[in-house]
Amino acid sequence: MKKVLIVLFMIFVAGCAKKYVAPPQEPAVQKETVKKETVVQPEQKAEQKEVVKEIVEPKEVKLTDSAVTAKTEETATLKDVLFDYDKYNIRDDARPVLDKAASFLKKNGTMSVVVEGHCDERGTNEYNLALGERRAKAVKDYLTSLGIMPARMSVVTYGEEKPLCTEQDEPCWQKNRRAHFVVSGK
Amino acid sequence: MKIDDREQMTENRHKNIYFLLSNFFFLFSFFCLLPSAFGKVYIDITSPAVQKLPISISTKDSSPAAKEIESIVMKDLEFTGMFSFVAPEVPGAEITAQMEVTVSNEITVLWSITDLIENKEVFRNRKAAPPKSIRAIAHSISNDIYKFVTEKEGAFRTKISYLIYASQGNKELHLMDWDGGNSIKLVPNGLTSSHAWLNNSLSLTYSSQRSREWKIYIFDLEAFRETVLFSSNGLNLVGNASPQDEVTFSSSRDGNSEIYAIGKDGGNIRKLTHSFGIDVSPKFSPDGSTIAFVSDRGGTPQIYVMDSNGRVPRRITFEGSNNTSPSWSPDGKWIAYTGMKDGKNQVFMIKFDGSSLRQLTVDGNNESPSFSPDGLFLAFDSDRDGKHGIYIMRINGEEQRRITPKDIKAMSPRWSPYLK
Repeated sequence: MKKVLIVLFMIFVAGCAKKYVAPPQEPAVQKETVKKETVVQPEQKAEQKEVVKEIVEPKEVKLTDSAVTAKTEETATLKDVLFDYDKYNIRDDARPVLDKAASFLKKNGTMSVVVEGHCDERGTNEYNLALGERRAKAVKDYLTSLGIMPARMSVVTYGEEKPLCTEQDEPCWQKNRRAHFVVSGK
Repeated sequence: MKIDDREQMTENRHKNIYFLLSNFFFLFSFFCLLPSAFGKVYIDITSPAVQKLPISISTKDSSPAAKEIESIVMKDLEFTGMFSFVAPEVPGAEITAQMEVTVSNEITVLWSITDLIENKEVFRNRKAAPPKSIRAIAHSISNDIYKFVTEKEGAFRTKISYLIYASQGNKELHLMDWDGGNSIKLVPNGLTSSHAWLNNSLSLTYSSQRSREWKIYIFDLEAFRETVLFSSNGLNLVGNASPQDEVTFSSSRDGNSEIYAIGKDGGNIRKLTHSFGIDVSPKFSPDGSTIAFVSDRGGTPQIYVMDSNGRVPRRITFEGSNNTSPSWSPDGKWIAYTGMKDGKNQVFMIKFDGSSLRQLTVDGNNESPSFSPDGLFLAFDSDRDGKHGIYIMRINGEEQRRITPKDIKAMSPRWSPYLK
């Protein structure tokens, strides 16, 4: 009973996060964010492919064939989830990514993961740490709502401290506003 | 106190006379008869239009140590914007500070202040210290001169704690003099983030992430020892200390980032906010009655204030959509913060009731303001010259200068209280 309540609560929380998208005070910022989001999509996909390719290179990572396959599958399935500027709601484009991650985690029932929350550099450090944590938690909550046991997922925030790239432009900022999976146990 | 035995009116009248006379020093210096310098305030820093006091500084020794002391003193005083320097051999100064430096195993400095209008020595002090304390001696001299002419304690002997970026995910906690000198490394390990000074002991409290855990620590600068103040699951970020050294922090131990306060011994935890949004960066006002903090409960991060028991939260920033990192002025009237304008972070100041907003920086990104204990200066970090560095400025935005070297990526300055 208790668990059902927790799951229901998580769904409620995820729902609430979504409502947070539209603050009444700053409509201008909202528009801006939406516009940037559409511009960035292709860039992001390209980046993710690149990352996958790098890790697959057998000479770089000296692993056994089966380990390489497993590693590849993890990396290909547990992809980064992107967020809008100053937001921690799960975007529509992130849902299929997380749905795949959930199926993968169900298939590998003993696997545990760390969800890292990251931000772009524009906010200040402390707020970004809190924001990164909310992003990681939003991902955890979403996966919980899909039936993954919360105990298998821990969250950690790095705020703006571990950027993927350091250019000062929106394509780079978008890459950095992410939740990232790290497999912590199998 | 030199003005205690004076009536306020008399004092003000004399002050005005001195300022008038100082402008015509040549004409009047030989025959005007002035009252004793006792009780005289040379610079009234509470006055809205401070006139610069013409001062000459001379050193009776040409050793490198003497030169260094003189240069530090002049830089200190010059930065206050309250002095104009006159070469010792040229007339025009109202007061002169003389230093006599002797270097042996120790550096001994004798310094005195002479009122040139009255042609009378009005102050004298002496200090001996090992050569490594040369900067400390120089800052003491600056403080004496400043205190003599303004009757107020200066910021010269205070320190600034700050972070240095070491590598990705590793930021070190450092400490330096107010002018960037004497930097020492305190905490090399982990990802250190927010940090603040305690008020009743020579200690810093800070948050650091090590092995994916965010804990709040205290560093005792006298014992040079670190202890844990608070640890729990989730993100724990320290705010600052109240006059009694109760420490505010934000923690997501119950799932959502809320504001708490904790005794400096780790007991008496009080939860002060209960909102769905992010609540972070809580800062006690100097009298401990109010807490400023950042919350996105209204949709975007904004500065709020509430009573120190968590009651009556009210939003004070309404310009812009990203306002964070509040810092109280020592008199509790102003809050400096980081606000985003035209896509860049800038330092702003606002009265704690939300009125009188002013922007203090323009070039590059400028973040993490922190007031000096005398309330005259702000430290902040900026990327205007490329790499993030620590800068200080006067609270009217004047004299912005970098105090950390250009090859070091430094950020998040926190100005110490007055140190003993």
